[in-house]
Amino acid sequence: MIKELHQKLVNKEITAVELINHYFNIIEEKDNQIKAFLSLVEKEKVLKQAEQIDEKINKGENINLLEGIPFAIKDNMLALGTRTTAGSKILEDYESGFESTAVKSLKDQGAILIGKTNMDEFAMGSSTENSAFFPTKNPCDLTRVPGGSSGGSAAAVKSEMVPFALGSDTGGSVRQPASFCGIVGFKPSYGTVSRYGLIAMASSLDIISPLTQTVEDAELVFKIIAGQDSMDSTSFNLPTDSDKKKDKEFKIEDLVFGLPKEYFQKGLDDVIKKKIEEAIKKIESQGAKIKEVSLPTSSYALSCYYIIMPAEISANLARFDGIRYGGIKNLKIDNLRDLYFKNRGQGFGAEVRRRIILGTHVLSSGYYDAYYKKAQQVRKLINEDFNKVFQEVDFLLTPTSPTLPFKIGEKSDNPLAMYLSDIFTVGANISGVPAINLPCAWTENNLPVGLQLIGSYLSDYQLLQAAKLIEKIII
Amino acid sequence: MDSKEINHLLELARIELSSQEKEKITSDLEKILDYVKQLQELDTTGVEPMTGGTLLQNVCREDEIHKQKENDQLKNSVLDTEEGYFKVPPIFE
Repeated sequence: MIKELHQKLVNKEITAVELINHYFNIIEEKDNQIKAFLSLVEKEKVLKQAEQIDEKINKGENINLLEGIPFAIKDNMLALGTRTTAGSKILEDYESGFESTAVKSLKDQGAILIGKTNMDEFAMGSSTENSAFFPTKNPCDLTRVPGGSSGGSAAAVKSEMVPFALGSDTGGSVRQPASFCGIVGFKPSYGTVSRYGLIAMASSLDIISPLTQTVEDAELVFKIIAGQDSMDSTSFNLPTDSDKKKDKEFKIEDLVFGLPKEYFQKGLDDVIKKKIEEAIKKIESQGAKIKEVSLPTSSYALSCYYIIMPAEISANLARFDGIRYGGIKNLKIDNLRDLYFKNRGQGFGAEVRRRIILGTHVLSSGYYDAYYKKAQQVRKLINEDFNKVFQEVDFLLTPTSPTLPFKIGEKSDNPLAMYLSDIFTVGANISGVPAINLPCAWTENNLPVGLQLIGSYLSDYQLLQAAKLIEKIII
Repeated sequence: MDSKEINHLLELARIELSSQEKEKITSDLEKILDYVKQLQELDTTGVEPMTGGTLLQNVCREDEIHKQKENDQLKNSVLDTEEGYFKVPPIFE
C-alpha cells in the first residue's frame, strides 16, 4: 500500500497535499465514533510539509519511498510539538521534551506525523479501555474493543485513517490489537529498534513495532526504524549474516512450520481453532511441511511475565512524581511527601496502580528470591525452549489471541481474565524473538481471526519473507 | 495479604488510596499472586537467571560532553518553576 501511494505521488496522480486532506477527511468522518486519536497535529503545519514535497515532485526531484506518507504513533512516543500523555491523567499536559529515535527516523525520510493514538494507560491493558480519556472502538464492530494496548493505532490503520502507525509491544500490545482489528502487527526482535523516546513500561520487553495493512508495509517501516542508536544501549544493528540471509529468497515448500501443541489446548476459542486449522491446511497444501512440536514451559510464560513486567514497571514509573513531568492540577498539597502520594494516587488509574504495587511486592525484601529471581530463571527455561524448537523447525504457527474481540466492558472488572488475552503473545517478548500477526480469516459475524508467526531470535527479515508467502496463501 | 502489608507497599510506592480502593487492590493482588504461584511447580535448581532481554554486554560510548539546548518544552510541563528551577513544596517543616 505504501509503494502504491508513493507511485501515485511520483506519477502525479495525486499530490501530497491531496493525500493529507484525504486522510484528515477520513479522520473527521470516522473518528467521532471510533475514537482512535488522542490528538492530531495541526493541519496547517502538516499541509506546509506536504506543499514542500509537492514542490520537489514538481521540480522533478526524487523523493523517498515514505516521503509525504502520513502516519500516526501511539501516545507513549515522544514527538516534538506534540503532547505525550501515555493515556494517563498524570501526563495530561506533558509536552514532548525531545523526539523519539523511531519517529525521527521516519520524519527524516519525509513521512508526515499526523496524530497520536489512544492506548491503555502506560500501555497496560489488552482493550484500550484503560485509557484515562476514553475507550477506542473496534472498526469491525463498534460494540467491541479494538484490543490493546496499541488499540488506537490498530483502529486507525484498520479504518484507513492512516496508511500505517507505530505501536509498542511488551507482551502482545501490537499483535493482539492487530489480530482484533484484522491487520498486520509486527513485533521485531528485542533491541532491533531504539526505545529512546518511548515511555518505558518494562524495559527488557518493550519494543516499538509497526501496524500496517500488509506485510510488505511492515517491512518497509521496520527497515527505517531499525538500527543501533547511541541513546539506547540495548539497541543494535541486525548482524550482517542475517542481513545476507534476508536477500536469499525461499519458497513456501522450503519451509518447516511447527505447531506448538500447548497453544491449541484448553482456553482457545473453538471458532479460532477451526479457522487457524483451515489456514494451516492451506499452507500445507502449498507444499510447506507442518510438524507438531512442544514448548513445555510455554504455559508458564504468562506467570513469568506477570512478575518480571510489574517489577520493571514499579521501577520505571517511579519517575512520575508529580514534579518533573507535570502532575494533577489544583491538589491541596501540604508538603513534598503529600505531593508524591496525591499525584501518584490520583494521577494513575487502577490498572497502573495494581501493577506498581504488584511489582513493589515481588521486589520487596523477603520475596525477591521467591518471585523475581524465580521468574528470571523460568525466563531462561522459556528462552531455551524457543532455542531448541528452532533447531527443528523454521517458524512457529499459532493463534495470536485465545478469544475473538470481546465486548466493551466485558472484562474490565476482571484483571486476571484480561491478562489471559496475552497468553499466546507474551512468550515472544519473554524470549526476545520476532513475531507477527497476520489476518487469516473472518467469522460469520465478520470478526477477524489472527494467525501468529514466530521466528528465531534475529530472523526478522526471514520471518517477514515467510509472512509474505503466507499472506498470499491465506487471504 | 493483610492491610499492614498493603499499607507498607503503598508507602514504598508513594501511592495514596482510599480504604475502598485498598480493599479492591488487596483482593486483586491475591488473585494474581495465586495465579503466578504456578511457577513454583518448575524445578529451577541451578538455572542461571535471564536478567534482561539483550545479549549485549558492556556497551560503551566515547566519554564526550554533548551540550543540550536549553529546552523550554521540559519546563512547560512542570507545574511550578522559578528562575529556571523546579519549585516544590518544603521538605522540612
